[in-house]
Amino acid sequence: MKVTFPHMGSSTICFKALIEGMGAESFLPNYNNLRQLDAGLKHSPEWVCFPFKTTLGNFIEALEKGCKIIVMATDCGPCRFGFYYAVQERILGDLGYEFEMKYLPQGDLLTFEWADLLKSMCEDKSLFSNYLVYRTAKIYLMKCKLVQDIEKYEGLTRCYEINPGETTQTLKKCVNMVDQANKYYELRQLRSIIRRKFREIPQRKRNGGGLKVGLTGEIHVTLDPFTNHDVKRRLGELGCEVHMNLSLYDWMKHKFHVNFHRKYLEYLSKTNKKIGGIQMDIGGEAYWVLGEYINWAKRGFDGFVHTYPFTCMPEITAKSIIQKWYGDRIFDLPPTFFPFDEHAGETGFITRLEAFVELLKSRKEKMKNGSRSK
Amino acid sequence: MSEIQKRVGIPRSLLYYKYYPLWKTFFEELGFEVVVSDESTSKIVEIGSRHAIDEICIPLKLYYGHLINLLQKEIDFLFVPRYISTTFGTYMCPKFLGLPDMVRGTMDNLPPIIEMNVDLRKKPIYASAIQTGRQLNRSLSQIQKAYEKAIKSYHYFRNLMVKGLTFKRAMNLINKNIENFEPKQRKYNGVKIGIIGHGYNVHDQYINMNLFRKLREMNVRAITLENLPLEIFKEKTIITNTLKNYWGNEEEILSAVNYLFKDKTLDGLIFICSFCCGPDSLIDELITRDSKKLSIPYISLVLDEHSGQTGVITRIEAFVDMIIRKKRGLKIKKKQIKEQKILIQAASEVKGGTE
Repeated sequence: MKVTFPHMGSSTICFKALIEGMGAESFLPNYNNLRQLDAGLKHSPEWVCFPFKTTLGNFIEALEKGCKIIVMATDCGPCRFGFYYAVQERILGDLGYEFEMKYLPQGDLLTFEWADLLKSMCEDKSLFSNYLVYRTAKIYLMKCKLVQDIEKYEGLTRCYEINPGETTQTLKKCVNMVDQANKYYELRQLRSIIRRKFREIPQRKRNGGGLKVGLTGEIHVTLDPFTNHDVKRRLGELGCEVHMNLSLYDWMKHKFHVNFHRKYLEYLSKTNKKIGGIQMDIGGEAYWVLGEYINWAKRGFDGFVHTYPFTCMPEITAKSIIQKWYGDRIFDLPPTFFPFDEHAGETGFITRLEAFVELLKSRKEKMKNGSRSK
Repeated sequence: MSEIQKRVGIPRSLLYYKYYPLWKTFFEELGFEVVVSDESTSKIVEIGSRHAIDEICIPLKLYYGHLINLLQKEIDFLFVPRYISTTFGTYMCPKFLGLPDMVRGTMDNLPPIIEMNVDLRKKPIYASAIQTGRQLNRSLSQIQKAYEKAIKSYHYFRNLMVKGLTFKRAMNLINKNIENFEPKQRKYNGVKIGIIGHGYNVHDQYINMNLFRKLREMNVRAITLENLPLEIFKEKTIITNTLKNYWGNEEEILSAVNYLFKDKTLDGLIFICSFCCGPDSLIDELITRDSKKLSIPYISLVLDEHSGQTGVITRIEAFVDMIIRKKRGLKIKKKQIKEQKILIQAASEVKGGTE
C-alpha cells in the first residue's frame, strides 16, 4: 500500500512520519519543479489559488509512478482550502487515474477524526492500533516541533554567517537527522544537538544587530521554498534577521486550542477595532497576520514581509488594512507584499526584495542619525 | 415629532441585490430615511478601483465606488453589514466576513458605521436585528414591529421574483410601495437560457453589461436564480460523498444549477462570475465538468473592470446562435427519424404482404 501526500517545505518529513508510523509505505514525488507545475496548471481551474496547482502537480506525478492512495488535508473554514481535495479528486478521476482519496480533517483536531484516518491506513485492526495512533501522533508532534526549531534558528543565524551557504547546509543536515530518527528518545536528544549545530556555525559579531524582519502570511506559501522563491533564504543573504512564528507546529497547537501566542495575536487584532482590526477568523491567516503586524510594530521591528497566493481572499483583506495603517503612520513598520502565482518572474521578485531591504537599511541609518542629533 | 429624520446610507452593491427590501423597511420603520447610492457607472468603478486595492474582485471595487458616492450625499450613518452566514452551518465568502473591518481600515472621514452581525450559525436573525436597533437607541417594541414588517416585505419581494419578474421591475414595485401585485402569466416560445451567478454580478447593470436587454432583443427568455421556486434551495447539494459545502451563496448556485440541469426545456446556461472570485473559481470547474457530462451548452463569463462590452456581446451572440442551430438541427433530425421510421414500417408491411 503506497500512500502519497503533497510537499510543504521541510514540514514534509512530519507527514512522512505520520504515514510510516502507521505501517504504511509512503511515497514522495520529487520536490516541486516546473515540470510538475506545468502538469498541475494544465488541469486546474484558471484562477484558483497557487497551492492548488502545485499540490495537483505533486499528485499527478505520484499517480503516474503507480501510487494508489492520496492523503490530503482539509479544513472547514470559509476559505477555499476545504474544497481542494474534492475538486482535485474530481479532476484526477476525469483524467482516468484509479486511486483513492483520503482526507485529513483538521478543522478541529479535538474531534479526533484524524485518528480514524490513521487507523484506516494501518493493516492491524486490533486494539493495538490505538496505541500505534498514540505513538505516531506523539512522534509526529515532536518532529513538527523540531522542524519549527530548525526553521527558527535558520532565520536568525543566516545573516551573521561568515561562510556563505553554511546555514543552508546545516539546515539540510538537521532536517535529514530528524527524518532519520524514529524513536521518541532519539528525537528528544536531537533538540540539543540541533541547537549546538547552529551555534557551531562561525558567526560575525553583532554590532547592534542586523535588520529585524518579520515574515508571515499564508501557511503553505510561507513554508514552501519552491512556491515563495525561497524568500527566507534571500532575506537572510541580504542581511536580515528573519523572525517567523508561523510553522506546522504552531498550526497544530492552534488546532488543539492550546496556542497562546495566537490567542494574544487575536487579542491585539480585536482591540484595534476602531482603526479596522479584524474581529473574527475569516479564514487563511488574516486574523493573525494583523496581530503579528501590530505585535512586531510594537516591538520595534524594521520590516514586515507578507507572502500569500495571488487572489487569496482573506489575505487580501489583511493586506488592504495593513497598507492603510502604514500609510497613515498608525504603526511604524514598513510592510511589503508578495503575491505568488505561476507567472511570478524570479528576477523581478529579487529586485523588489533588494529594493525593500535597501530602503529598510537607509531608514534605519536615518533613524540612528536622527536620534543622535536630538 | 419635529425631529429631523436621520439618513442611513446603503451602497448599491454586494448584498443590496439580495436583502435591500429587508433593510429598507427595517430602517424606515425605525424612523430613518434610507439613501441609496446612484446606479453603477464606469465613473463609479473608476473611483472605486482607485481606492480599493488592486487584487480585489470587481464587486468590491464597485462597493468602494458606491461608498464614495454615498459620502457626497450627506448621510448620518453608513450601513455596512457583516454577513457571516445566512443558513445554518455555512459561511459567506471571507470578504463579507471582514467587510466592516476592511471599510473601517481603508477609508477616511466615515460617518458612524451601523454594523449588523448576521450569524445563523450561532444566533437567529432576530437577535442581530435587536442588536442593530439597540445601537440606534430604539425601543424593543419598535424594533420588533420593524423586524416583522421587514421580513414580510422581503418575502413579498422574493415571491415577486419567483413569479417571474426581473430584478429591476420587482425593485420598482418595492420602491413605489405597491402591494399585492400579480404579474400576468406569459407564454414564451423560443430559446430559454438560465443565467446564474451571484446577485451582485448578475443584476448589476455595469458588471453584466446590459445582458438582459441584449438577450431580450435576441428573443431569448432569461431565467435567473431568483426566478426559481423557493423549495429547491432547501435541499443540500452533494459535491462528493465526503465534502459538505460550506459556502452559503455557492450552495444556492449549485442547487439552482442542479434544478436547471433537470429542466428539459432549458437550452443553455450562462455563468457570470467576477475575476479573482475565490469560491466561483472552484464552483465553475465543477459546473463545467457536470455540464460536459450532460452535454448541456454552458458558458462562463469571467468579468472584471477591463472586460470590453463588444467582446462579451459577441460571445453571447455566438452562444445563442449555436443553441438555435443545435435546436434546429435536433428538429430536422427528429423529422428525419420519423420519416425513416415510416419508410421502414411501410417497407416491412410491403414485405409482410408479399410473403
